[in-house]
Amino acid sequence: MKSPADSDEAQRRGAPDARRTTYGRALKPVYGPSDVAGSDYGRDLGLPGEYPYTRGVRPSGYRDREWTRRQVMGLGTAEETNERLRYLFEQGQTGFSVCGMGYAPYESSDPRSLGLVGRGGVWIDTLRDIETLFDGIDMAAITINQIGASLPVFAMILAEADRRGIANARLHGTIQNVVAPGGEGEELRGNHCIDIIEFCARQMPHWNHTSISARNMRDQGLSSVQEVAFGLYQGVLTVRAARARGLEVDAVAPRITFFFSAENELLEEVAKYRAARRLWARLMREWFSACDPRSQILRFHVQTSALSLTLQQPLNNIIRGAVHALAAVMGGAQSLSVNSFDEALAIPTPAAATLSLRTQQIIAHETDVAAVADPLGGSYCIEALTNDIEKEARALLEKLEAMAPVKAWEYMAGEADEAGYRRQRAIDAGQRVVIGVNRYRIREEEEEELGLGAKQVFNYEPAWRDKQIARLEKAKRERDPRRVETATRQLVEAYRARVNIVPPMIEAVKSYLSIGEIVQVLSAAGGMEELRHRHGFYLGQLY
Amino acid sequence: MPEKIRFLLVADSPGHTTGYYVVARALREAGVEVILGGHAQPEQIVETAIQEDADWIGYRIMDREPLVVVSRLMELMAEREQMHVRVVLGGIIPRSDIERLKQLGVEAVFRPGSSLDDIVAAITSK
Repeated sequence: MKSPADSDEAQRRGAPDARRTTYGRALKPVYGPSDVAGSDYGRDLGLPGEYPYTRGVRPSGYRDREWTRRQVMGLGTAEETNERLRYLFEQGQTGFSVCGMGYAPYESSDPRSLGLVGRGGVWIDTLRDIETLFDGIDMAAITINQIGASLPVFAMILAEADRRGIANARLHGTIQNVVAPGGEGEELRGNHCIDIIEFCARQMPHWNHTSISARNMRDQGLSSVQEVAFGLYQGVLTVRAARARGLEVDAVAPRITFFFSAENELLEEVAKYRAARRLWARLMREWFSACDPRSQILRFHVQTSALSLTLQQPLNNIIRGAVHALAAVMGGAQSLSVNSFDEALAIPTPAAATLSLRTQQIIAHETDVAAVADPLGGSYCIEALTNDIEKEARALLEKLEAMAPVKAWEYMAGEADEAGYRRQRAIDAGQRVVIGVNRYRIREEEEEELGLGAKQVFNYEPAWRDKQIARLEKAKRERDPRRVETATRQLVEAYRARVNIVPPMIEAVKSYLSIGEIVQVLSAAGGMEELRHRHGFYLGQLY
Repeated sequence: MPEKIRFLLVADSPGHTTGYYVVARALREAGVEVILGGHAQPEQIVETAIQEDADWIGYRIMDREPLVVVSRLMELMAEREQMHVRVVLGGIIPRSDIERLKQLGVEAVFRPGSSLDDIVAAITSK
């Protein structure tokens, strides 16, 4: 087999270094007017808050609204996560973003949960856990980001808000939902991802029903162009799927959000966010005739790169995180999570999590970058890169559009795997410099002597599983068996009839059925394969 | 020609598969027969290792507690008389666990920052 390093294409794209864009274009030493000769200010830029939104979605940038400080976290049972959340809110966090919720389609007492409870995020079995998770937190005052798109967990969040007397329409938040193939007939009935979109479009005006995670693919080593194209392609699919349900583009597109990464290439990253905004606005107008400006506006959350963080000399990651965060802010992100410096070692300690939040606060309050909207706009280099990324991303998007969706998904996954391999080889060969790994490396013992290691590392507590099992058993003892029976029956009936599954799911979780039980009754109704097909990736990820 | 090394590659959870595929590819290019077992429980891992007549198990750990799942894996391997199968780990594994993991019978542990050549050498030189 011919090694990919042999081809010109791989030579062009491979061996990325600091003088090349991630998509393989050599950076010039100096940019000038000739690099932006074809650009027209009115057509291609405009003021922030104006079409095509290249320069941002609000007229005065962060003076109109600050970005949400939304550090990702999740550990132990709902009690441990609630404690960490309350701490972070006291320290100035402004959004909720919890991972692990509903990842497993079985109960904590299942043998399959071995070593998992509380290490891969927080563990949720029943609504009791969500009640504990939000204890002491005003659900109406924050934005709630659900990582993953577990439908039972989504239903639990709504059920808990309802118990507190908060109407769905008053809730602000995001579910990391993305439309997967599946569903019957023209309306794609029985596709739960579209059920979520439909439910939110009709009842929850402030809830982002779709969050397209281009970031996680990017974090495998893709280029900025691929991140933009793959993300926007999924956005286009979402609009089409919703249309199949009879929802107009302007009823759906305003609540589609994107989730991007922030990598080391600061200039390119700023250009990437700008290019993504412009391309999305144009696509919504050209392809879908979206009239509502909110449909044309691309809003995004950034979680900083994990790929570029190192285990070696972990304190260096604080500096990397700050550079990534700066790119996100100068690129106009609506929401930000800065990875903690010790994430290559373990779950972040409270100290590391605090430093991530402080990184955001220092940028917001001590520097001037948030004072001016699109501060790098007009730079020859940034504008040239913005044009370049938009053009290349559009071409790649059109290539994806020519494929059947299933083929396009395969293509994207294949590209991500390929990119990861190329990147690792470039690091091993020293073509891509990683400080502390292939340059200026020191032994781990010496790191510690110098004080460059992580002083504390988070310790996993195996007893969390027993604690969680006790919580689950208590919830089951206290619930009303008749209510469980009725809710189960109605859930299964709705599933079989392929009507929107969200309302009966809310009733099911209110009866304190566990996620494991819900998966069991639904898979019994039509088989696990069908359930996976209809629910997409996220009923519980760990099949 | 010597027979190809049969290497079963598994993970403790789905997703976060960059390292998993990168390692698989590097081993294949080095002439190792890599069997992708996907994410699997210790019971399934041992079962697959027997069925596939694996020489090695490569276990990517990200979401689960290494000492807990590796102890279970080793226990099952002893029960099923598979102690001749070598085990190598990769992923988010605390340094403080490495000694204990080696006592349990793990051949090597590769953490972030390891080079592909080192990983390949550890498998092909045995």
